[in-house]
Amino acid sequence: MFKNLPVLDSISSCFLIVVLIVLAIMALLCLLRSVLGPTVADRIIAVNMMSTMVIASIVILALLLEEPYLLDIALIYTLISFLAVVVLSQIYVGVYREHLAARRQKRMADENRQTAESKTDDEDAERGGTA
Amino acid sequence: MTVLSWIKFLAGAFFILAGLVVFVIQLIGVFRFRYVLNRMHAAAMGDTLGVGLVLLGVLILNGLTMASLKIGFIIVFLWFTSPVASHVVTNLEVMSREKPEECCPVKDLHEEDEQS
Repeated sequence: MFKNLPVLDSISSCFLIVVLIVLAIMALLCLLRSVLGPTVADRIIAVNMMSTMVIASIVILALLLEEPYLLDIALIYTLISFLAVVVLSQIYVGVYREHLAARRQKRMADENRQTAESKTDDEDAERGGTA
Repeated sequence: MTVLSWIKFLAGAFFILAGLVVFVIQLIGVFRFRYVLNRMHAAAMGDTLGVGLVLLGVLILNGLTMASLKIGFIIVFLWFTSPVASHVVTNLEVMSREKPEECCPVKDLHEEDEQS
């Protein structure tokens, strides 16, 4: 990167490699959070965090290897990670709404059955009273 | 010429280190908090400021080239979309949580006034 000064070149390469190692270790720890998290939102947040750290790693790698084409990959991965988070959240909102609608239908069916039973009981009581 | 190179390297390294510190704080926050919405507050911090600082450092180290323009695009796009992603995930969590009193108990202020 710094062609004229070999000392600065080696120092900057070492520094960038250390930064890459730290980012990689942190990305693996995000995976731990995504496995542990009790709710769905925990896992979506962890995946988003890991994607952001990977984007930073790709950009630093593009600087280290002096290949500007890797920045296009980083841009596309940004788009993909945002799309993944939005789609996953909307899917789970839809799943929860279906769950709620099914439970409400079951409750209404139970209530209708109960009112039908009580109506027949009342009719029996009336007939028994008058007879 | 050499002084300029050293200044460029030091400025870039400073910004990259600052971004890395923000990432570490984000990770510690996500592991220490106990509820999803608190963790999301910590995660959104790294997604905007951490990435912004790291990419700014790489931008300084690259100089004025086409690559710096691309990095600028990445920063702008991340800053536009990260709040939207946080909002959508929060919407999911609030909608699907049926009994929020278990994790976020609400204190009644009128009872406290009557007691005191």
